[in-house]
Amino acid sequence: MTALEAVAAYLPERRVPIEDLADQLGLTAMQIRVFRRYHGLSQVCRDDGTLLDLLLAATSRLDALRGHEHQVRYVLYARSMPVAVPYPENPLHELRDALGLGHAVAFTVTHQACAAGLLAVDLAGRLLASDGDPAARALVIAGEKAFTPIAQLVPETSIFAEGSSACLVRADGPRDRLLSYVSLARGEYDGKPDERRQLAARFQQEFPRTLAQVIGTAVERAKLRPGDIRLILPHNVNKVSWRLLCKAMGFPVERVLLDNVPTAGHSFCADPFINHQSATARGLLQPGDPYLVAAAGAGPGATFSAMVFEH
Amino acid sequence: MNAQTDTATDTAELRQRVLDSMAEVLPRLLQREEHGLPESTRLMEDLGLTSTTTLELMLELEDNLDIQIDVEEIDQENLASIGTLADFIATHAQPA
Repeated sequence: MTALEAVAAYLPERRVPIEDLADQLGLTAMQIRVFRRYHGLSQVCRDDGTLLDLLLAATSRLDALRGHEHQVRYVLYARSMPVAVPYPENPLHELRDALGLGHAVAFTVTHQACAAGLLAVDLAGRLLASDGDPAARALVIAGEKAFTPIAQLVPETSIFAEGSSACLVRADGPRDRLLSYVSLARGEYDGKPDERRQLAARFQQEFPRTLAQVIGTAVERAKLRPGDIRLILPHNVNKVSWRLLCKAMGFPVERVLLDNVPTAGHSFCADPFINHQSATARGLLQPGDPYLVAAAGAGPGATFSAMVFEH
Repeated sequence: MNAQTDTATDTAELRQRVLDSMAEVLPRLLQREEHGLPESTRLMEDLGLTSTTTLELMLELEDNLDIQIDVEEIDQENLASIGTLADFIATHAQPA
């Protein structure tokens, strides 16, 4: 059973109020008010270093990696945006080498937008299980630079931030054991350029109900009831969508860790793991507590994903 | 009983003010003329508002009517039509 051996996260100290990004993002004063008032956004993290610096900042906090580098078989990089740097640069390989993991197979997991982080954890666990070495580990990293207009703003939804995460995954372990994983890919949200505005509006409208269904299925497959879930670790897209989702599924919004939405913003695939670190640091999870990690992403198409773990 | 009657009157009066204000704000938000829209008009399907432009509509209504809307309680059904949004605001708003 896939298990998270350790989770680390990095949030840069530099925070930018969303008002300061209005001109750069082409947002009106009213749109900024909507983001602040309804979406619950306030400021976003911005890192002054390179992409490699951002990822290394997370892995440097992953103490459990030290001394186990030789047992890391895979390095998986979960990305929302498929393209990170121009060819032939490869920050993932640079990171692998910098960490002394040159022997590991390194690859990027993408095309599920901000739900790709959950896919990477599942893939890592399945690869390790098929290897058959109980000591083998995989390193799953996430975090991106908000470096182009499309990587800075999700129109009418969120503003991207620059945080990062690193997880050490094993095929089995005593805690943070994966009980279920459900992922729903909806290709019908892809369309011709002149249809995209309408499709984006449809995604916004259908998001709460669809992710609620995926979460419900994940809970059921974990042989639990929704009330058993101690905490939901969400993506940090905004607050309003989680309020609507909680209403749709009858789940108390107080049990969704939304504290990082206003203070840190939406760091692509890294959010659930950043929130995991916040939850454990604050003692919100006790050994044996079931918790759920959820993320959804839309670009050309959409993916809705949820994982249930036992802490 | 009198207090209940007063509350019902206040709610009905605010609801009408919300409807009047919507009739003024919607054409500006939609950037087209709209007259005599019935309460059953669906905000997204019929008028083409997105969830965000619907939220912008609510902010404009707050400014116009000098009220503060309790957005924590809103759900998608409340945003369905002119009538459901007016119902929601009339019962979830306080003087600013």
